[in-house]
Amino acid sequence: MSTREIFDSRIESGLLLLPTLLVSVVFLYYPTALAVRTSFFDSSFGQADEFVGLKNYVTLLTDSGYHSSLLLSVVFALVVVVGVIAVSLYLTFLIHEVDTGQGVYLISVIWPYALPPAVGALVFLFIAHPTLGVLTGPIEALGVDVDWFNDGPQAFVVVALAAIWKQIGYNVIFMIAAMNNIPDTLTETAELDGVGGIRRLVSVYVPIMTPTLFFLVIINTIYAFFSTFAFVDLLTSGGPSNATNILIFDLYQEGFSFFNFGVASAKSVVLFLVVGVLMFVQFRVTDEYSYYGA
Amino acid sequence: MTTVTLQNLRKEFGDVVAVKGIDLEIEDGEFLVIVGPSGCGKSTTLRLLAGLEATTGGRIEMDERDVTGVEPKDRNVAMVFQNYALYPHMTGRRNITFGMKSSGDFTDEEIERRVEDAAETLDIVDLLDRKPEAMSGGERQRVALGRAIVRDPDAFLMDEPLSNLDAKLRIQMRAELARLHSALETTTVYVTHDQTEAMTLGERVVVMNDGQIMQVDEPQALYDFPANRFVAEFIGDPAMNMIPVDIEDGRAVHDAFTLPLPSVDEPASTDRNGAGDAPLGDTQRAVLGIRPEDFHLPDARSDDGLPRIDAEVNVREPLGDSLLLHCSIGATSCNIQAAPRTAVRAGETVSVTYDPARLHLFDAETGDAFYHSESHHSTDEQVLSRASK
Repeated sequence: MSTREIFDSRIESGLLLLPTLLVSVVFLYYPTALAVRTSFFDSSFGQADEFVGLKNYVTLLTDSGYHSSLLLSVVFALVVVVGVIAVSLYLTFLIHEVDTGQGVYLISVIWPYALPPAVGALVFLFIAHPTLGVLTGPIEALGVDVDWFNDGPQAFVVVALAAIWKQIGYNVIFMIAAMNNIPDTLTETAELDGVGGIRRLVSVYVPIMTPTLFFLVIINTIYAFFSTFAFVDLLTSGGPSNATNILIFDLYQEGFSFFNFGVASAKSVVLFLVVGVLMFVQFRVTDEYSYYGA
Repeated sequence: MTTVTLQNLRKEFGDVVAVKGIDLEIEDGEFLVIVGPSGCGKSTTLRLLAGLEATTGGRIEMDERDVTGVEPKDRNVAMVFQNYALYPHMTGRRNITFGMKSSGDFTDEEIERRVEDAAETLDIVDLLDRKPEAMSGGERQRVALGRAIVRDPDAFLMDEPLSNLDAKLRIQMRAELARLHSALETTTVYVTHDQTEAMTLGERVVVMNDGQIMQVDEPQALYDFPANRFVAEFIGDPAMNMIPVDIEDGRAVHDAFTLPLPSVDEPASTDRNGAGDAPLGDTQRAVLGIRPEDFHLPDARSDDGLPRIDAEVNVREPLGDSLLLHCSIGATSCNIQAAPRTAVRAGETVSVTYDPARLHLFDAETGDAFYHSESHHSTDEQVLSRASK
């Protein structure tokens, strides 16, 4: 076996690794360790931390509000991931099929992704505000009473739509690259055989794109659990009646509104475990069903 | 069974004119090969036929039905691609049936029966349950052929289907394609850049260059009676020698030699490619074409009273079945094909003779052929009588 000797000395390679290691330790591993530690303590402002063992976790196990938040988060993630993948896939397919002006369509689909989440949330608020939103009028004309400030299920749908809308651009970038990589001759064979557009997408393109799609499912899952905070915070603040109180917002409130750092840390550990288990399952599924052919 | 007619077919990609108005008639059940160098427009022509590219001008007819603007799926043609174009995630069987099932024109029993037939014809029964990644190149191409034949199309369009195969497999598949065509008798248009494939497979061969048809003829006629310099140099390996000469009183005059040009004695036969009727008496510049195998070293032929040409051997290339000599005749470079194991060394000067029935003259300006010393097809009897002399 040969070892690759790129650097002359260990010191040199160590020095080059140092910045990355430093950033990872200070901003990732240390806070993680601290969160795990804090989850075993009763911790708040103005008082010394007190070790309480598994009490915080027991609290979570018996808190029905937390249970519904957990369930809500899983359903929310499911809706967002499926929604993002389905809408992005269809949009990508449409963009892939046009001969002229691909760039214009691509930019118009990608731009929400370029916004910071908070700005994206505010833009979506302008679009869907129950009284001022630009789309509210047309939607109400269809006979829907737009009232998501008071209507829980509507609020859930609005936050999910905002989260989907924001993430489409990211997905389309990867999907269009994957779709453009599919040999033209496969498309042409399908055309000669009279295979319809949607069938071509579902039966030819999607199976070939599975590695990209699984990657996106994982990224979107993480996004749905962690990065949708701004939408909940700015659109609904978890309401009405906790209808949009997903885990990431719930633990933020626990920590920074109620200052129960111990319980908030326990919640963040649980969230980490939930996402971790999902990742594990997804990677297993990826290996089994993903097509990595030539 | 279909006749295909192309009328003034044009295709432009922006400023680039890929196909410059070609006319072609493909007969029912014919195996037509389109051959030419890269970028000559042969693949574009095929794609226009398939409907994968929209025409810029002209007309495509299949059995007198105008299909110029018709969708690919409604032309009932099947295409075989160079890279096989098999769906990588589907088994051989599903690859073959996917199109038929999607189009919904066939019952399941019908599809099953056709797959079995095709699999037997192509000997791919074992491949039906394998995915393309578990097949070799030749096997993949056979499955791709299977996919094409199950639909029983009006025409097969093949775009360099053997180019990705290794040399041995290519020869094997070539024979298989010929066998398949004689069994199915479906009109086939086959595009290739390989002149051997063109010559061996084609009932007629279309030579294309720069978006235009240079010549359409049977393979042997292309070889024996090229219509212009391009065809003369493109068909045949090693290529025909091109020697600039002056034509004076029925003779080709070069710095190093003077050859008498056999007069064309059969007026009826002078119509091939319009060549043969040129006034050879006038003095004019021309290019003399002689194929490397039409030169003969002195002891390879008895004294026939023909003038000898001195050629200096620069490089000798033993090819096994023959010996290729790179020579200089005067200031002109020339290839001469000699018998294998001929004792000739580089640097030596050899005195060569030639086959007077195999001389070609091309216009120095346009490159069009205006003289073939044998301006007609030899019948078998003539070939035999010449061989016995």
